[in-house]
Amino acid sequence: MNPPLQRLSKRILYSQEDIMLVTSQLKVGVVFKSGNDILVVQRMLGQKGGRGALVTKLRVKNLLTGQTADLGLDAGEKFADVDLDHLKMKLSYVDGDNYVFLEQTSYEQYEISKDDMGDNVNYITPDDDVEVEVTFYEGKPVGIELPISVDRVITYCEPGVKGDTSGKTTKPATLDTGFVVNVPLFCDIGTKIKLDTRDGSFIERANK
Amino acid sequence: MSELDPELRLRLVVNDLVAFSKLCPAIKIGHAVQYAEGWTVASGPEASGIFRAERPRFIIECFACGRPDWYEEILFDPDDPDDRLIVNLEYLTAEDYAIDLHKAPSLTRSAKVKKAMFLPGFAQGTGGLIIDRRFAFLRDAYRDENRKEGLRQNLLAAIAAGIPAAAESRVLAGPIPADAPERFWVSIFSYERDYQPVVQDLAAFHRDRPLLALIAAGKSSEPFLDAWKRADRPFPAIALPFLTQETWDEVILASDFAIVRGEESLARAALSGRPFLWHAYRLEDDYQLVKVRALIDRMRPFFGSEDFSAIERAFITFNDRRIDSNNAKGADEGLDVFLERLSKPKRKQGSLETGFEAWSQSLFDLGNLARGLLTFIRDFE
Repeated sequence: MNPPLQRLSKRILYSQEDIMLVTSQLKVGVVFKSGNDILVVQRMLGQKGGRGALVTKLRVKNLLTGQTADLGLDAGEKFADVDLDHLKMKLSYVDGDNYVFLEQTSYEQYEISKDDMGDNVNYITPDDDVEVEVTFYEGKPVGIELPISVDRVITYCEPGVKGDTSGKTTKPATLDTGFVVNVPLFCDIGTKIKLDTRDGSFIERANK
Repeated sequence: MSELDPELRLRLVVNDLVAFSKLCPAIKIGHAVQYAEGWTVASGPEASGIFRAERPRFIIECFACGRPDWYEEILFDPDDPDDRLIVNLEYLTAEDYAIDLHKAPSLTRSAKVKKAMFLPGFAQGTGGLIIDRRFAFLRDAYRDENRKEGLRQNLLAAIAAGIPAAAESRVLAGPIPADAPERFWVSIFSYERDYQPVVQDLAAFHRDRPLLALIAAGKSSEPFLDAWKRADRPFPAIALPFLTQETWDEVILASDFAIVRGEESLARAALSGRPFLWHAYRLEDDYQLVKVRALIDRMRPFFGSEDFSAIERAFITFNDRRIDSNNAKGADEGLDVFLERLSKPKRKQGSLETGFEAWSQSLFDLGNLARGLLTFIRDFE
């Protein structure tokens, strides 16, 4: 039996009036409703557009059927809220394809499959001392929501180029999670960087 | 779409009738519901009655422009038992994502309101470009060198007839030369930019081959004419009044070289088979250069390497904000080579003339976007 779940506030994702999500607020782990379907965002596959109107491509999983689909969503579409529960937890360990989270007061463990973690697997490891929000739908953990930015360490990249601080030219770099991102030329192995968890983009060099 | 199926009943929801009336002169300002060019044109919540009486089933949403609240209420009415489909017709781009997202499923908050993406484009796997009968007919007519001068004469007369006499001295930046139809026509329709280097390049071109510049009304008109006047009016230029889309299409087809902007004029210039230069809408972090590179990459297979280098250089320098703002001389570095190659007799232009023709034919071969859209909607039924 599940322990009592702590209902957290809906944060700023929802407007006060109609409790709607708009496309621009969707990110990996966010659950939303389309018709009778309950969908969780598993992967952000890119944003494209011109003149400010963005089309977001993303992969969603239908929590009722288990099916996944790649969709194109334009910026203005609105979606209904879903009655969710959230618990703050820390990633304890990875057991094969399952990510095991530990609730910090009851010490209950919850497993989330790698598929359900989606792109969030790129941003956390069990070594992190970071609290994440595990999302529950009808008592089952269905995904996690990360902070908008996380710090990670580069484990491999071509040598850094001093002097180029523009950030306009980039190179691929492998992070301690195994995720490969584009970073400015000045970055080096061991550099700690701040990443945007919505699209994996480099934000800035993190404080050591 | 009306052309393809005259039985089709199209209702346009317009939020700015004043702006729309410039494109469609038959429109009357202040009418919530009116009929023009075979369409019902609706504007404002007062028009909601006709949509409540006959519910929309297929909705084409352009560039995800958003839907008015009153329309939204009708569309998402929970008591409406029938399915409806929104097709988001997106911006034109040559980037690969147009292929990736074309016909991709999308979502709304209601199971009854389906949604899908439809992307125009320059490649197989996209929706292609709009090819209407009139444009295709005129394109063929202007390609016939025996008819071209006569058509140009008629076009100039039609434009001049549309200019009120009182405004003539203001609108015409100089007398129309008697040999205008025989000249090398250059049409200009871009965003704001420094036109001094372009005017210099055109003046140099004019010394070898007489040209006539046709300056579209809009953002590029003033900077171009200012630069042209500062250069002591080195070639004849006509400042065009605001033209209907049909007349502007014909100006592009009549031009030997066009500088175009945005999407509609880009599509027309690409289909014209004539050499052109595209001024892309400036985006944050110079993202317009990504779009420009994607476009010229689509053109690359149709040109020899030297000609393509001239095109590539002109397109990139014209759209690179850093060059435009920091190096007044830089902007003309690409265009002068492009123009120099164009100044040669056609038979000596190599792939420059044939390349634009061949590329435009490949775009025609992709099919008519309107037809594809109609088929896509009907398949939903």
